[in-house]
Amino acid sequence: MAKKETKKQTEKEKIDKSKNLISLLKKHGAQVYDDLENGEFPKFIIPNRSISNIIYDKKLRQYVLGTNASLRSSRNSSQLRSFTQLLWLAFFANKLTHEKKSSTLRDIYYSSQAFAVDFEDQGESDNIIVDLEAILSQPRENFYVFPEERSSIFGDLTIEYTIPGYEGKTQNLSTHPDGYAIGPSMTSAELVDTSAELVIAIEKGGLFTRFVEEQVDKKFKSIIINTGGQAPRSTRTLLKRLHDELGLPVVILTDGDVYGEHIAMVIKSGSANAAHLKGLTVPDAKWMGVWATDIDKFKLPTIPMTESDIKRCYDLLKDPRYQEGLWKKELEVFIKIKRKAELEAFSKYGLNNITEKYLPIKLEESKSF
Amino acid sequence: MSSNEQFNQISPSEFFYRNRDLAGFSNPARSLYTAVRELVENALDACDHSGILPNIYMTIKAVDPEKPDPKQYILTVKDNGPGIPSKHVPLAFGTVLYGSKFGLKQARGMFGLGATMAILYGQITTNKAVKVKSNADGKTRFDFEMLLDIQKNKPIILKKQEIPSSEQGLSVSICLDGDYAKAGTKIRDYVYQTSLITPYATIAFDDPKGEKFHHKAIIRSMPPAPTIIAPHPYGIDVETIRRMLVDTHYQIPNIDDKMIEKVRTELGMSKKKFAYDEIIKKTEKKWKSLTRPVRVVISLMSFLEADFEKLQRIRIEDVDLRNNKLIYWDYSTSQTLVADMDVESHYYKQLANTVQGESLTHFLSKRFQRVGPTAALEFCKFAKFKPETRVGNMTDQELVKLSDALQQYGGFRSPDPTCLAPLGDGPLEKGIERRFEPDFMAVVQRTASAYSGFPFVIEMGIAYGGKIETRGTTVYRFANRIPLLYDEGSDVVLKVVKDTDWNRYKVNNDSAPLVIVSHICSTRIPYKTVGKENVADRPEIERELRLALQFLSRKLSGYMSKKGQTEMAKKRANLYSKYLPLIAEFCTELSGNKKEPNYKKMIKQETTLTNSDESIEEVEKNG
Repeated sequence: MAKKETKKQTEKEKIDKSKNLISLLKKHGAQVYDDLENGEFPKFIIPNRSISNIIYDKKLRQYVLGTNASLRSSRNSSQLRSFTQLLWLAFFANKLTHEKKSSTLRDIYYSSQAFAVDFEDQGESDNIIVDLEAILSQPRENFYVFPEERSSIFGDLTIEYTIPGYEGKTQNLSTHPDGYAIGPSMTSAELVDTSAELVIAIEKGGLFTRFVEEQVDKKFKSIIINTGGQAPRSTRTLLKRLHDELGLPVVILTDGDVYGEHIAMVIKSGSANAAHLKGLTVPDAKWMGVWATDIDKFKLPTIPMTESDIKRCYDLLKDPRYQEGLWKKELEVFIKIKRKAELEAFSKYGLNNITEKYLPIKLEESKSF
Repeated sequence: MSSNEQFNQISPSEFFYRNRDLAGFSNPARSLYTAVRELVENALDACDHSGILPNIYMTIKAVDPEKPDPKQYILTVKDNGPGIPSKHVPLAFGTVLYGSKFGLKQARGMFGLGATMAILYGQITTNKAVKVKSNADGKTRFDFEMLLDIQKNKPIILKKQEIPSSEQGLSVSICLDGDYAKAGTKIRDYVYQTSLITPYATIAFDDPKGEKFHHKAIIRSMPPAPTIIAPHPYGIDVETIRRMLVDTHYQIPNIDDKMIEKVRTELGMSKKKFAYDEIIKKTEKKWKSLTRPVRVVISLMSFLEADFEKLQRIRIEDVDLRNNKLIYWDYSTSQTLVADMDVESHYYKQLANTVQGESLTHFLSKRFQRVGPTAALEFCKFAKFKPETRVGNMTDQELVKLSDALQQYGGFRSPDPTCLAPLGDGPLEKGIERRFEPDFMAVVQRTASAYSGFPFVIEMGIAYGGKIETRGTTVYRFANRIPLLYDEGSDVVLKVVKDTDWNRYKVNNDSAPLVIVSHICSTRIPYKTVGKENVADRPEIERELRLALQFLSRKLSGYMSKKGQTEMAKKRANLYSKYLPLIAEFCTELSGNKKEPNYKKMIKQETTLTNSDESIEEVEKNG
């Protein structure tokens, strides 16, 4: 079966990835070592992640970094500390990768305290982690650093764990109605089997629970994912794998406002924050709603937009990804009506109105774009 | 003046008694502080004006130490000044408004009221006599015990004693209601700050708790004493002009024995021949060489045809120039008599001149500083006065017009600063250096400037670090060598300091150990309140203060940036020795090496590099 082949392929890829990472880290370590040995101050070249250096790559259909880079030298006394922190992180990531131990952003902050590299707060250590991602062009998940999880998954999908201690163990994700947290063990697991024909990513936990109750997974042969607002990287990675490895189409359901529209866009084409990374986007994902035009069409109760909502609309209008089609059209309608509607708004017409009426209509509609 | 008579019913003592709040005697704490100030300042002024290096010893003792505050204290201030001749002592300390400080020059007190006020306050609250010990000649000391008769504004001497003593000086001891618990801090601050601005004085203070605050003189030379000068036209008002006009110089002199002797000497006559005819004869020959008072006396004699015996029996009532009559009162016959005056005689001219006063131009150029004959003429043109106008004939309206015009005319040169006695940058620098032992200091003395006719000089010093214990900017304010301690909020010096953007000078306003010493010298400090505690913000003074502070701040900034660089280098060296070992450790493990790289030489190199900052110091010195 084709699925088996992909499985083997990914396994091999993973080992390569891990080896590749370790040698990359070693290479950087050796460079620093040689510099010191020669009496020179070691330095890192870090791709510049500021807005001015972020370009939208139409071919890749995501944001990528430009060619600007900045130098972080240990000679410069104002950079010495952050240089040391960066090197420490490389050293620590090396350890994690060797031992295959996962760690969270917060863990990193606390782990650092044993080494006197003086992170002032977690914000600072988070930044250094992104610096290392940019230097290595590898997402932090590859060196076993994960964010705190808040998104979950439910549906007929069987996975096989690869993390130490669980290797070979399988799990079907439709056995627990609260869903399964999407964490390192989930994103690194093998996707073994599924009967689903669709992935529905939904912005809110409340609706996720409703969907499980209403058995949307069975009625629409779907895997339901709660993104918990803006989808975390691990969730985006999983979405990409569900799409790429299992060939499942991904649809996204959000609140009917500018932020909802952008949640869908980030899943589809990535965030500016992660422009230094590839493999986090699902360019074929479809935003199913709630559209600005749906508000009137489904007679949804609305609330007025705030000043900052409107400002966000105008900001996005300048974004290259919002220059055409549905994205541009809906954004303009939002600006015109200056009102927004949440997913819960459907409850006005009964609690199951969204799954019984809205979802089927929109799913049908989405096939055509 | 006759219309003022009903007010004179209240003696000055009584007036001050009723309004003692005005003079700073409002409550026991404040009163004790004010009394200290008045006595110490009197002592310092006396020494300054006699060119004696002051040595002041002050004690405050509780009458009954067991009692809680407020209670009675005995305040004694002893100096090594010139003392006061014994015949003046009762009046000097027993009357309000008796003093020697009239005239225009810089002094701490204005009229010498303060000491008497303190005595008065002591007497009111404790009913005890003031003890004054004065030794003016270095041979005899006169000890007085006196009370003040408030209604009559006269001293009542209770005791007087003569004691042989070689120690010149004055000691004043008063008993008064005070509150040292509350006033103690201010008094100690006052003594400390006074010693800061008077580095040539030794000031010792023994407080009621037995603590000793002794500040020794730091320098052995006094700043040059100020001179008394004529007023500047800008600072004048109608009342002052009126007083200048009624000067003895332009009045008909009193004919007493002294005057008669003066006439005789000037005419060069013997006592025998000193009779009317001889006098007139001699006068004809010597007229040109005679002084004005003598001429006036002789003119009177000529019209009255009287010798001195007669002249002493009459009183001149009026010189009626319109009718050319001389009206006088004869004591011997008790009647008013009239004598004719010959308009053509030079005697008439002399009398007319005297009564009418001088011409306006002459008056202006002789009686004011910075006004010459040309300036006086220019001014008359500006003010539309005839230059030959006789000042004695001017009406009240004309005097007001004159006074206003003097303020408005812009052509006078700025006031003469020789009446000022700034401390000088040397003594100021020494004072600051000794008191604070700072890491950095600078002082500046601005050239004299003037506001509304009063000359002033700004002196300022800035000190940083060292033994300065306060954090943030501490400002010591002085005016005419008096520390200003109360009412800081509204003072012009503080306003200027507050307006300064210290970040520009690389100083952290909140934490820097910074001291600013500001000294304003002027013949009249524009105090905002009667209590003499804060200086009003006259634009001219504010500008000078600002320039002084900017000058000093720039110097401080130079020091700070040098200091900053040294600190930065030190910090950098510290950083290297902290982080390079970590870097070595991490990269060794990351690269899979066994041995750490040889990085130690790099730390050494960096630390030696920091010494290259010395070149900056050189530049600093040259600048």
